[in-house]
Amino acid sequence: MFDNFGMQAAAAEIFLIATICVVLLVDVFLSDSKRWITYALSLLTLAGCAWMTLSYGVNERVSAFSGMYVADPMGDVLKLFSYATVAVSFIYARDYLQRRALFKGEYFVLGLVALLGIMVMISAGNLLTVYLGVELLSLSLYAMVAFDRESTVAAESAMKYFVLGAIASGMLLYGFSIMYGIAGTLQLDELAVELRSVESPIGLVFALVFIIAGVAFKFGAVPFHMWVPDVYHGAPTPVTLFIGAAPKISSFVLAVRVLAEGLDSLVANWQDMLIVISVLSMAIGNIVAIAQTNLKRMLAYSTVSHVGFILLGILAGTNDGYRAAMYYTFAYVIMSVGSFGMILLLAREGFEADRIDDFRGLNRKSPWFAAVMLMLMFSTAGVPPFIGFWAKVEVIAAVLDVGLAWLAALAVLFSVIGAFYYLRVVKVMYFDEPTDTVDIQAGGTLRAVLSLNGLAVLVLGIVPSVLIDLCVRALP
Amino acid sequence: MSLVLIVLLPFIGSLIAAFLPSNARNAEAWLAGIVAVTCAVLVADLYPAVASGEVLRVVVPWLPQFGLDFYLRMDGYAWLFAMLVTFMGALVVLYARYYMSPADPVPRFFSFLLAFMGAMVGMVLSGNLIQLAVFWEVTSFTSFMLIAYWYHLSDARHGARTALTVTAMGGLAMLGGMLLLGHVAGGYDLDRVLEAGELVRSHPWYPAIVILVVLGALTKSAQFPFHFWLPHAMAAPTPVSAYLHSATMVKAGAFLLARLWPTLSGTEIWFWIVCLAGLLSLLLGAFSAIFQRDMKGVLAYSTISHLGLVTLLLGMNSRVALVAAVFHMMNHATFKASLFMAAGIVDHGTGTRDLRRLSGLARAMPITATLATVSAAAMAGVPLLNGFLSKEMFFAETVFAGEGPRGHIALPAMATLAGMFSVAYSLRFIHQVFFGPPARDLPRTPHEPTRGMLLPSALLVSACLLVGILPSETVGPFLATAARAILGDAVPTYSLAIWHGFTIPLLMSVLALVGGFFIYLYLYRHRAHGRTPLISRIDGRRTFDVMIIRLIRVAGFVQRLISSRRLQPQLVVMVCTAAVAALVGAHTGQVAWGPMPVSSVDPVFAVLWVVGAVCAIGAAHQAKYHRLAALIMVGGVGLITCLTFAWFSAPDLALTQITVEVVTVVLILLGLRWLPRRIEMDDPRRRTLRARARRLRDMIIASVVGVGMAALVFAVLTRERQLDLARFFVEHSLPQAGGGNVVNVILVDFRAFDTFGEITVVGIVALAVYALLRRFRPAPESIDLPRAQREDTERRHPSAVDPNELLPPGYMMVPAVLVRLLLPMAGLISVFFLLRGHNLPGGGFIGGLVLATIVIVQYMVGGTIWVEARTRIKPLYWIAVGLLLAGTAGMAAWFIGGTFLTSFTYDLYLPLIGELHLSSTLWFDIGVYMLVVGATVLMLVALAHQSLRSYRRPVATSSPSVRAEVDRTAEVSR
Repeated sequence: MFDNFGMQAAAAEIFLIATICVVLLVDVFLSDSKRWITYALSLLTLAGCAWMTLSYGVNERVSAFSGMYVADPMGDVLKLFSYATVAVSFIYARDYLQRRALFKGEYFVLGLVALLGIMVMISAGNLLTVYLGVELLSLSLYAMVAFDRESTVAAESAMKYFVLGAIASGMLLYGFSIMYGIAGTLQLDELAVELRSVESPIGLVFALVFIIAGVAFKFGAVPFHMWVPDVYHGAPTPVTLFIGAAPKISSFVLAVRVLAEGLDSLVANWQDMLIVISVLSMAIGNIVAIAQTNLKRMLAYSTVSHVGFILLGILAGTNDGYRAAMYYTFAYVIMSVGSFGMILLLAREGFEADRIDDFRGLNRKSPWFAAVMLMLMFSTAGVPPFIGFWAKVEVIAAVLDVGLAWLAALAVLFSVIGAFYYLRVVKVMYFDEPTDTVDIQAGGTLRAVLSLNGLAVLVLGIVPSVLIDLCVRALP
Repeated sequence: MSLVLIVLLPFIGSLIAAFLPSNARNAEAWLAGIVAVTCAVLVADLYPAVASGEVLRVVVPWLPQFGLDFYLRMDGYAWLFAMLVTFMGALVVLYARYYMSPADPVPRFFSFLLAFMGAMVGMVLSGNLIQLAVFWEVTSFTSFMLIAYWYHLSDARHGARTALTVTAMGGLAMLGGMLLLGHVAGGYDLDRVLEAGELVRSHPWYPAIVILVVLGALTKSAQFPFHFWLPHAMAAPTPVSAYLHSATMVKAGAFLLARLWPTLSGTEIWFWIVCLAGLLSLLLGAFSAIFQRDMKGVLAYSTISHLGLVTLLLGMNSRVALVAAVFHMMNHATFKASLFMAAGIVDHGTGTRDLRRLSGLARAMPITATLATVSAAAMAGVPLLNGFLSKEMFFAETVFAGEGPRGHIALPAMATLAGMFSVAYSLRFIHQVFFGPPARDLPRTPHEPTRGMLLPSALLVSACLLVGILPSETVGPFLATAARAILGDAVPTYSLAIWHGFTIPLLMSVLALVGGFFIYLYLYRHRAHGRTPLISRIDGRRTFDVMIIRLIRVAGFVQRLISSRRLQPQLVVMVCTAAVAALVGAHTGQVAWGPMPVSSVDPVFAVLWVVGAVCAIGAAHQAKYHRLAALIMVGGVGLITCLTFAWFSAPDLALTQITVEVVTVVLILLGLRWLPRRIEMDDPRRRTLRARARRLRDMIIASVVGVGMAALVFAVLTRERQLDLARFFVEHSLPQAGGGNVVNVILVDFRAFDTFGEITVVGIVALAVYALLRRFRPAPESIDLPRAQREDTERRHPSAVDPNELLPPGYMMVPAVLVRLLLPMAGLISVFFLLRGHNLPGGGFIGGLVLATIVIVQYMVGGTIWVEARTRIKPLYWIAVGLLLAGTAGMAAWFIGGTFLTSFTYDLYLPLIGELHLSSTLWFDIGVYMLVVGATVLMLVALAHQSLRSYRRPVATSSPSVRAEVDRTAEVSR
């Protein structure tokens, strides 16, 4: 049916927004005991989206809405991955939400809207569409952070997130508008052509500075990282899990669509800025993470450092680099979902399991999940044969290819420092006495999916070509 | 094919072992044993091919996108190590079968042991650097699991953690080195890397490569200054120690150094780094070993020392030294594993490994004593045993390697000294445990163990003897193959004979034996135990711990320095960063006034702007202390903006701006009432120097950023415009969209999609405001009447308003009459604006705001209750209908074949009235109009309703829902 209106490119998005409305409406009429219907509908929606994306899959660039909206193989891959990530986040979140009387429609609906924002960003062919997606995602996230209304910490972090995020969005928009003034178009493909003929006019650098500030904020890169620890720590863990996963894909795509596609010819200019941001992120993320005692905060700083690595791939400015960054993003998302899933697994009534000490003696209670966490931590540290290792190898190789050996050496140095705090979690699990004897209370689904998550980190590390192949197909 | 099998079999076995029931000790051992023996046989089977100089290769595509294959490559050197790993594996499995108690969770043990074996074999057979790094880390990881196996032992915790941290970090460093090396060599292929020696050594990255790779090797092989983890890893079960910490894993570092020897060696930097680390490990390890109390502690330090010897040999840049290093690695594996097994037997039989408690065990366990003595003699370098041969080669090398007189004397002297220490601790190990009076207070009665535990040790000891007596017949060919694999055709001449005549090395050996004997005698007399003299303060582990703590402190410091949980500093950082980046950008890009002429400034206009600027600054200044004042000044700024628009002849913009200003200011005004109490400006706490400084800083930042922005705008405005958007719209507005009012045409036609999105957002915002305020409870301190109303006694309490009254009595009567008269007129004007908007100033947005404004005025003058009782605007419906209208207007275009929101006009001729200009954009504009009215009124209702929250007396109202609401709030306030 979409064929007639030339909107195949946006088929999945249109389907999603329609079903969001349905879920929203259905949810209004559900009693708390029937809330699982919302949950099930949300998962069905994701399955439906996946079906739509697959059946309208494209082999080359296709656009809709006069080029405002594009679908390309990279978009399809990223979207499918986002669906899976969101689905896993929902599955992990369920137990926790139910136990805290937070099992409401908001989490799922907001999650789906955020996903829509991500999809819009993925398919953006125009700076305005990019912005639309950014805002759709950000606003949903602000609301999600504050969604536990009883928690003052959550409200505080949502407030901070909102204020800072609004300023960052403003900067991004300001950059876009200057860019528009220079190039006369918002269309990304036209922008790329226009900028090639522009000889560094006034404002180009400014536009770039503002755009990069906005992008860096969405990534959570230093010095725009301040919100990351506060939000990760303050938000309810299922929300942290959500924020730590799918939005990273959107940050990646934001950078690729805007910097790599639109501002391709300015690579020399933005490379320098990204180098500074990337090095700072790796340094501060890894060093400050060591001082954390709260696991969520630690993972927040670890995110900051990983963002530095993702930026390494992007700043290479080559197709290999983007591919490496994409692979890194995928790997990071898989690991991040798993790590926060572990916190949700251990959490129970009156026990958040978000301090590193809460993992004491996990090996004694459940050797299998201790092993899962161990694999996740090793992988996040970049130790082979786990997936995180390949991510680091690819990114560093991409940087080496453009001759930035010192940057590669720095990256290695920081990942060595970073290994320390991940290993501390492992040490706590294996060698410390457990503080209590309460067994893990999580349900079967969570256990099963989390186990698969942990295994995925190992299997994809042993057979890395599966995921890399996907990236190659996306970015040929 | 069998290469793949050799690597895969252990992993498959590991998986099977993991799933066997935990009491199946025999099945586990059989499984592990069969796997190890099969692998060993498979490796042995490949010897003829390898011996003929062939390099066996198996290449399986692994990561084609990255140019990486799963590449197994076996040459003589790899063969030797593969043999060592599998053969030792088989022996250790046999030993472990009897060593582990039935109560231990055996499946995990054998599972990890097999996985470790697989990883080790995989590493030695790796044909590319990345794959090597992968297997390298897998060995770290499985060894961690093996050390952690007995986690209830207090020492195991710290030991395993230290071991893991050190080796994992080293592994990452090595990975970096590998990546650099592969990049320089042009591929990660081992063949290519080995050929690219010249290229690598002359490359500017060479020092970095050497440092990183050597870092990995030194950490893995427990070499100075990373040696400290090994003694603490001794908490692992003894079979693990025998296998990992003597025979295989710790050899990995040395293995790697030898593997990459052709590529990396031969330079000064290599010599200094590798030799120094080796020499220090050799001496310190041997010296410390003398003073250990724990049997395994002695062995651990001795391992460090022997590996130091190997490292030293590898660093000498001499081919003979390389052969000696390989030879010594093999010999060390044999005698050290056997000694570990002996230590395990003693531990098993007596329940302790403490050298001070053990004594005279030779009577109770004669076979063990004999085996241990022979292996210890090999370790000490006694002739006719294998240790003697390689040590002799080492001594010879030290004599010839040094440069200058100092080198000629110092290096051999130190080697001899280390040899003496080695003899001393070997003697002590044997004499203390097996000889002397029988110990009395042992936890268990010593007894000879089962044959299963003795057999592996006995096999190793016989190997020591065989190699020691008939070197060239037994180990000779294998060593030659290995050497050829590394060095190619440039294998030097070396002799494996026992007797070379009276040479300097022989003299050194004799000196070492005699000296060692006397050292031990001296120490035995003085009962020196425990703390190592002189160097006990240089405790690597403590240094490591201290460094870790320092690191955590530094991290905490950095965190305090650069991060804050408070919003204000976070904002400051963000804004400043952007400002600095922009300034840097401005410095590099040429920012200056453009060529366009600057028009002269009208003094009136300048005054206008000064007023505006003052208002803006004043608003910022008062925002925290006097919100009303700040709001009024913000209104002032808006007014100046309107005037500016009007000044530059943009009446439609001015009109839009003024309506927006009015509505927003009023809405904020209504909300202001419910904010928490303001901070008084004369509060003494606010007047401290610090607070002032902070405010000053903020003001400066704000001014700089503001001025910068303004400068940027001026710089852009004074330049030739790149594209003339305004002209485009002016020119195309009428012909393409059929409208004369450019602003309106942009809104409803050219960029109608944006407008559609925006009105949707406005609708959502209104709903959100409503939803949020519906349950809003004002802060307790703002429940009271405002001061102005309290003092004004004449005025009636708002709750006293009777909604059924036609006009409010008192001084509000006249305004009430006026605004009521104004309502229909304003409604008419708004519709007028809406209809004419396409061609003249006006439009749906402005029209909607005009209507909304008059409704607001009704509220302000008539009072909330009065208006609510009579309102006929159902805001939710208005919003919904508005959105639907706009949406259908857009979708209608599909049916005439256009894209979403394409406009079409139709000029209808009506009799009497004349020509009627109809456009689909009008439809759209009506949607905008309705939505704006609905949204504004909805927000207004939500805000204004707050005043009824706490002190409205329940009166008869026309609307039942309002009454319910009143009841509820009354309850709350009670």
